[in-house]
Amino acid sequence: MLPPFLGPLNPLGYPAPYWFILFFKVLGFTLHISLMNLWFAGLITMLLLRWRGGAHAQRLSDRFINALPFVIAFGINLGIVPLLFTQVAYYQVFYPATILAAWPWFAVVPLLMVAYYGIYLYVIGLRKGTMNALKRAAGWVSAAIFMLLGFVFSNSFSLMTNVAGWGPLWNATSQTGAPYGIGLNLGDPTLAPRLLMMFGLALTTTAAYVVVDTAFFAGGESGEYKRWAIRCALIVSTLGNAWVAVMGSWYFFAALPGEIRGAQLQVPMLVLTLLTAAGTGLPWLLMLMSQRGLTRRLGLLTGLAQLGALGLHAISRQTVQNLELAPYLQIGAEPVHIQWSPLLLFLVLFVGGIGLLVWMVVQVVKAVRLPVVP
Amino acid sequence: MHYPWWYVPFVTSPMLIAAVATIHIFVAMYAVGGGMFLAVETQFAHRTQNRPYLGYLRDHAWFFILLTVVFGAITGVGIWWTIGLASPLATEALIHIFVFGWAMEYVFFVLEIASAFLFFYFWDRLPAKTHTIFGYIYAVSAWISLVLITSITAFMLNPGGWVEAPSFWVAFFNPEFIPQTIARTGGALLLASLYVYLHAALRQEQDPELRALIAKRSTRPGLLGAFLVTIGGVWWFLALPESARAALAAASALNILMLLIFAVTLVVFGMLYLGPYRNPGWITPGFAILLFTFGLAAIGTGEFLREAVRKPYIIYGVVMSNQIYPDEIPGLRQTGYLEGGTWTRRYIAERFPQAVNAQGEIDEGALLALSPDERTEVGELLFLYHCNDCHSVEGYAAVSESMRGWTPEMILALVKEPHRARFFMPPFAGTADEAQLLADYLVTIARPFPAGLVNGSSN
Repeated sequence: MLPPFLGPLNPLGYPAPYWFILFFKVLGFTLHISLMNLWFAGLITMLLLRWRGGAHAQRLSDRFINALPFVIAFGINLGIVPLLFTQVAYYQVFYPATILAAWPWFAVVPLLMVAYYGIYLYVIGLRKGTMNALKRAAGWVSAAIFMLLGFVFSNSFSLMTNVAGWGPLWNATSQTGAPYGIGLNLGDPTLAPRLLMMFGLALTTTAAYVVVDTAFFAGGESGEYKRWAIRCALIVSTLGNAWVAVMGSWYFFAALPGEIRGAQLQVPMLVLTLLTAAGTGLPWLLMLMSQRGLTRRLGLLTGLAQLGALGLHAISRQTVQNLELAPYLQIGAEPVHIQWSPLLLFLVLFVGGIGLLVWMVVQVVKAVRLPVVP
Repeated sequence: MHYPWWYVPFVTSPMLIAAVATIHIFVAMYAVGGGMFLAVETQFAHRTQNRPYLGYLRDHAWFFILLTVVFGAITGVGIWWTIGLASPLATEALIHIFVFGWAMEYVFFVLEIASAFLFFYFWDRLPAKTHTIFGYIYAVSAWISLVLITSITAFMLNPGGWVEAPSFWVAFFNPEFIPQTIARTGGALLLASLYVYLHAALRQEQDPELRALIAKRSTRPGLLGAFLVTIGGVWWFLALPESARAALAAASALNILMLLIFAVTLVVFGMLYLGPYRNPGWITPGFAILLFTFGLAAIGTGEFLREAVRKPYIIYGVVMSNQIYPDEIPGLRQTGYLEGGTWTRRYIAERFPQAVNAQGEIDEGALLALSPDERTEVGELLFLYHCNDCHSVEGYAAVSESMRGWTPEMILALVKEPHRARFFMPPFAGTADEAQLLADYLVTIARPFPAGLVNGSSN
């Protein structure tokens, strides 16, 4: 029998209870994908709308992409939390997986930078009315890079749980046992369907964002535009849901190992599985209702329902991840040495930070409502 | 050892950390100092109702956001990305010790980004007082981020009492924390001045009064910054562990670099004072570029020095530079590095199952009985996992060059006791047989004695 790939446990133990680490990992991931979805699938959708659509489509596209610099800044930021807590709880598998795929993983940094500056270039073109071929191309290049980054992330995180696949990959891509870092987890049957399912999910998030934007921030737009935007959102959401259904079925029934699928179909996990599968149905229904007239309440509910659907996906993903790793890791069994005072200070700062953030937004809303003084 | 080792030919993977960290620090420090500058100067401009100056500051804020929110933020994440790849055990340790430090920094990072965007995009819409408060929220958040991250980098150089009493706060308030915080705050202010001055010079402002105002006011943080860099630098040196000071003293290149930092800082101080502060009319692109280059040289050299004196550790006293815990070394010298390493053990078991006994342990006698080519392969495995953190075969700190002309006996002697020959190298963490295997490999790559030199023999 060959020795295992996993190194020893960290002698310091978990600095917080496992449930705490998991809570912030899942919460952070939910918040991260709620914004990441907008550049992963939303950007390409909006570029296509601008390219092939009419005046309303162009307006929607411009509104959407105009907001992307903020969305990307906060989305990247929100991604720090799940990655931090992943490294606390799953370090034994996270580091080897990313090292086996080191160059693609490392490439995230320059690629993200190019894509982000590409968006700025495009947005400058929009805002200053100086759109030209170069700026348009920057938008398309950014969209392509963001989709490529989606693949890189899926590659690393599916490799993290595919411990059985490390050996062949390591042997094929290393110099005397030291990986070149060019491993791609293409032999993993879950990689493609999961990535594609995430793309469909991202389309539904894009649709929900359009509804929220139209309900709350499109006050200056015509009624006709708003009706068109809501209809467009419903179409995108319908396509996204259909896509999720097809790819999710492929992932769940054909790619996921039988024992994990079996566990997900046992009560009480079955409830979570069903809720996850049906999760994006609720925002879709709310979008359908919005066709008769969008109110702010409906817009808010649609946004929250989509966030809930993403949360369910994140929880399901976490349970599957734990099941995939169960043969290799004693998840949650590591000794816990709670760092009480820093933990509490973090929580205080977290709440205080949210408070300060809200205060700033309130100040801005107040200021925007005041008449402009020349 | 406990993780796979990422092989990057010529430069070694840890050098990628250095590359990302250096370009990050040039912008990250400006993100802090520039934020302070914008907050203070916006308050001044509002108070004096100086509209042209407000206009300039707005222009600068756009440049600031484009540079710091994109390049600064992504390269910051990039450091974290790269340390996990090139230094996984140290990253694992740091994450376990400082997870809540990072989590707190994340809170302030969110505040930084939110306040920066709101400060800039609602420039004309916010009342002056609120606008100024937003600027200060950014400045304070950015500075606290600096403080939190500095505590981690300072810990890596001198963990103080943490090794005996491991607790977050002992780690946080390590002996290098305050000096490094002072030095980095100074660096942030210094760079802020140089960035503002460069931006203003390249913008080629035509209004002479505004040009003079920008030149004069942009100089102030830099003058204070140069002073703080000097104070923090001296204190940093005094708080170094003895071996780090010895490393600094032993390496003439590091000595020169250290002197260079102080000299360049002094030059920048002088140029700022005599140039834009006393003679604001001197604002020219050439002068600004020169100043800026000097500033980057001082900051970059300081960061390099901070890294270099830490050897043979990556986290002083906690993790060796070759990804081993110090207390693992005695055991590894008994049982073997290949046996103790998760990935090396697996490699031997897969490639040379004949060298693994019935208990699943590596039989070193069987390794020595392998063919010469196979022994070289095992030696290369040892080199990659034990030495490649700091040495390449051909390229950065190449062993083929540093062992040029060495005899096999000299190489074996060095491999057995590297820390005796160079005290800033980690001890060899393997058995005598493994030392022989590693030495055999090194003999195959060491270049011959250069032709044309006197070597003491009759030929």
